[in-house]
Amino acid sequence: MTLALTVGVLVAGAVYLMMQRGLVRVVLGFVLVAHAANLTLMAAGGTDRRGEPLGQQPDPATTADALPQAFVLTAIVIAFAITIYLLVLAAAGREDDDTDGPTGGDMGGTDVGPHLGEVSTVGAGTSRGAADAEDPHEGEDPDEEMRHRDDVTGVPS
Amino acid sequence: MILLVLVVLTAALAAAAPALARAMGRDAGLVLAGGLLALGLTLGISAPWTLGETVDFSVPWLPVLDVALRLRLDGLSLAFGLLVLLVGALVMAYSARYLGSGPCSAFYGLMVFFAAAMLVLVLADDLVLLFVAWEATTLCSFFLITLSGPAGQQPAVRTLLLTAGGGLALLAAVATTVVATGTTQLSQALASPVWSEDPLLASTVALLVMVAAFTKSAQFPFHSWLPDAMAASTPVSAYLHAAAMVKAGIYLLLRFSSTFADVPVWYVGLVGVGLLTALMGALYAMQRTDLKALLAYSTVSQLGFLVATTGIGTSYAVTAAVAHTVAHALFKSALFMLVGVVDHQAGTREIPRLRGLRRAMPVTGVAMAVAALSMAGVPPLLGFISKEKMFAALLEFPGPTWAGVLAGGVGVAAAVLTFAYSGRLVLGAFGGPAEEEPAEGLRRPREAAPSFLVPALVPAAAGVVLGLWGSAVAPLVTTGADAAAGATTTGRGSVTDADLSLWHGLNPELLMSATAIALGTVLVLARHRVDRALVGRRLFPLTGVGVVEGFRTGSIAAGARVSALTGSDAPRRHLAVPLVVLLVLAGVGLTQLDGLPTPQADLTRGVDWLLLALVVVGVVVVVRATSRLGALVVVGLVGFVVALWFVVLGAMDVALTQLLVEVLTVVVGVLVLRRLPRHFAPAPRHRTVGAAALAVGAGAAATAAVLAMTGRRGLSPAGEFFLARAEEETGGTNVVNTILVDFRALDTFGELTVLGIAGVAVVAALSSRRLLPDRAPRTWREGSPVVSPGESAVVARTLARVLAPLTLVVSLWLLWRGHDAPGGGFIGALVGAATLALLFLVARSDSSAPVKVPAALLIGAGVVLCVAVGLAGLVVEGSFLEPFFIDVGDSYVTTALVFDVGVYLTVVGVVVVALQQLGGVLLPGTGPGEDEPEHRMALEEVLDRKESAALAPSSEGAGPGQEQSGQERSGLERSGLERSGQERSGPPGGADGSAGRERTTGGAAR
Repeated sequence: MTLALTVGVLVAGAVYLMMQRGLVRVVLGFVLVAHAANLTLMAAGGTDRRGEPLGQQPDPATTADALPQAFVLTAIVIAFAITIYLLVLAAAGREDDDTDGPTGGDMGGTDVGPHLGEVSTVGAGTSRGAADAEDPHEGEDPDEEMRHRDDVTGVPS
Repeated sequence: MILLVLVVLTAALAAAAPALARAMGRDAGLVLAGGLLALGLTLGISAPWTLGETVDFSVPWLPVLDVALRLRLDGLSLAFGLLVLLVGALVMAYSARYLGSGPCSAFYGLMVFFAAAMLVLVLADDLVLLFVAWEATTLCSFFLITLSGPAGQQPAVRTLLLTAGGGLALLAAVATTVVATGTTQLSQALASPVWSEDPLLASTVALLVMVAAFTKSAQFPFHSWLPDAMAASTPVSAYLHAAAMVKAGIYLLLRFSSTFADVPVWYVGLVGVGLLTALMGALYAMQRTDLKALLAYSTVSQLGFLVATTGIGTSYAVTAAVAHTVAHALFKSALFMLVGVVDHQAGTREIPRLRGLRRAMPVTGVAMAVAALSMAGVPPLLGFISKEKMFAALLEFPGPTWAGVLAGGVGVAAAVLTFAYSGRLVLGAFGGPAEEEPAEGLRRPREAAPSFLVPALVPAAAGVVLGLWGSAVAPLVTTGADAAAGATTTGRGSVTDADLSLWHGLNPELLMSATAIALGTVLVLARHRVDRALVGRRLFPLTGVGVVEGFRTGSIAAGARVSALTGSDAPRRHLAVPLVVLLVLAGVGLTQLDGLPTPQADLTRGVDWLLLALVVVGVVVVVRATSRLGALVVVGLVGFVVALWFVVLGAMDVALTQLLVEVLTVVVGVLVLRRLPRHFAPAPRHRTVGAAALAVGAGAAATAAVLAMTGRRGLSPAGEFFLARAEEETGGTNVVNTILVDFRALDTFGELTVLGIAGVAVVAALSSRRLLPDRAPRTWREGSPVVSPGESAVVARTLARVLAPLTLVVSLWLLWRGHDAPGGGFIGALVGAATLALLFLVARSDSSAPVKVPAALLIGAGVVLCVAVGLAGLVVEGSFLEPFFIDVGDSYVTTALVFDVGVYLTVVGVVVVALQQLGGVLLPGTGPGEDEPEHRMALEEVLDRKESAALAPSSEGAGPGQEQSGQERSGLERSGLERSGQERSGPPGGADGSAGRERTTGGAAR
């Protein structure tokens, strides 16, 4: 019960983060969903037996299933490696990690929300190249301004 | 064998053509013409001229699929093969004078390759080979049309669309035939009894073959490409229209004629579409003023005749079709080449602009008249004989008499128009006052050189000779028609002898010919009035080219619309799709839940609720966080709680791993975040609501799934086995570790490889895209110890000096004891990596941080070590990665430990990669070391203009010469330099000079 709820909370938080603009939040969502997946594996092993699978002749009646633990252990490390890679992607390139930035995202920077299929189709097939060639400061939205303000304010002196 | 030699030689000629053309220029055409002529003569000599005899050849190609390079020469192949090679030879010789002095290697190469493809097509006795050759001709024509330059590109694409579409129909026909008849051999498949047993199958394949042939032979409604393809140069058109491309469709129809002659779809479709096309093409030809366009539509019309006659299917009709194929090849190649001569000499081929050619170019005029009369069906030319035979064939239309009369009537109507446009062609070019001056901007035409004219005169003259001396071509037509009518395979009556004489007595077809000529003459005499009525008038609201172009642009637009649905860079669009699908699946799954086992007792304990509460708090804080750093830290804390979960669930190894990974994730995350804005971009409300709704749904579904699908069974048999046998089998008492390195070592090895690749991918990604510059706040008070890494980390650095050796030892100890107690390669490595991270964090500067281990070497060594252990297991125990024991004194070591060392090395390597790449560590041999001015330069380059403007004036040694060297450095060095220069060097916003001073003192301290 508690483990199932924990998984649910983690998944909810992860999905919320993944639906955001910045890649960093998407990566954090990925970290949370990895936790959720790992705990689901642990749940599959059963939470009624919680003894550590260590030592000589562990009692099968009270000892936890070791197989999901082995799965989870490697899964954690793999998720870590993927997280590193995703974080690197967030910090690489010319723009910051905002995936809706003026040179990418929703083709021309129009924000149409998380609803599927609701994409601006104005010149969709050809606008990508044109958008890339555009002045990166064209079509700045309030968010963009906000990010610029970040740089200026920083920590108060 | 002779067939293979012929095909190979033609292909070799095609391969040699470009080199020949480079060496000889346009004169290469003469050599190639000689080659094709020789090949044609060889084909003629080696051919079986007796009824039913064939030459066969076969080598296996894809034996599993029964596909073979089967070649078969029968009468039909012979007729078409000779046309391909001999007309090809004429066109090549013509090209040698037609082409300019420009490069022509592509032209010659493609033309001869075209001939080779056509030859294979007509010789193929394998359905797959037939299809391949068919597609090769499609591609050849496409490339030949594009050769004519930008004007040819749109027509070439339209041609490809139509003909390749027809190729798909042929592919479907081939596949269906192979499946239905169980053989890929064409002759066997055609003779198969399934066609008569299954009328639906026969109709389907007949329809597919028809569609394929209609696209290739430009029949309605696919006729538009042929006039469109006129954009190609004249030799290409001559070959395309006379012997190659369009004749492939006719060949296909004739080849399948014996099989489908009795299928209603076949004969009704062929006769109907053929006659419609004949009439329509002729009508369009009447409207053209461009001689070449006129000829193009005349080809459409003549092909219509051929298709209709083939559709009749009787042996007489097939004879007529073969005869007219030969006649058409002769007069059409002559006409195209002669129009090319006119174009070349007079500078135009527009009828209104052509003047005075009658006197200036008499030979050309006579030749064109002769060829055109053959096309018009005037005796004593070959075209008369073949057309008359076609009239007679049309009257034989299977079905009621009125249908035959109707078919014949339409045929005569088309022939009337044929006569009329033939007259327009000749009189339009050579009629009119002979003395008139040429139209403005054109030179005075002269007769062309003999070498230019001869290739065009030959087929025109052949039309006369063969018309008068029909018995010369009769054997070819006879054997061809015999093969097409299937005299040998289906037992139909043999043609015995195609009577190609001029006079057969008074009969209906003579009357039809006379009518056509008489009415045609009337139209020619009234040609000025007819022209006024027809030229430039739009007869139908749609044009074929318009329809094809509409389809082309429409499909591109539709594709753009479809791709726009997913064509976004925003990850959430791509992530939302599977999430929504999963939610739907979960919803469906909930309704199907039934009869689940009761849950086990004691699944939940008191402490769980505390952990749940902590996770809830953490997640709520994370999703509400506005600062990137805050969110990262809280996610790390959530990870700690998850580690606690593992502890209470009895998974100590997992908990340790989780804990260490969380620490390292935060370290790596911080290295990334300093290059990004502090705060997240605020999201609009509607998105927040949408994301929250999806999140709640997903969370609920996940909870429901875990509740429904877990905790309802006892220990799994596998789990029981591991608990019971781990020590006995492996000597280890840490069951989790024994699973990782003993029982499931191959899995672990795979996962290790994923780790290594992730590490390599990080390096690869950053070698192609630079990291963003640092955004560290620059408004700290000057002189604050916080801004000086050298001073602010004194305590930590001192501590690290003591701790680092200790933790390194612990790390190795964890690795060592992992088999029996919590620890192992993963955990030990993470502790070691955490030590390196600590050393990195307390270092005086990024560039000097002591994590200069060659990371790629670590990763590679780890993977290689694991492979070596695996191979050792293979050798000693007979199974890859199976561990074994090595005695060391009175103790022993298991190779699983060595495997774990490999794990250790790889994991450490991945973390070191992250620290080095993101942390700006200067690796030995890659950077300029402590070269101060270059530091400043690299810094300047990466800052945006505003910032550098504030910095530059007082920066020392930033000369233009060094700027150059700064720009040439690799992104890797630069990312390291810019960071060391920018962040660790002090408060650039405060005082410009202080940055340089800080570096200097830093250097002195070192």
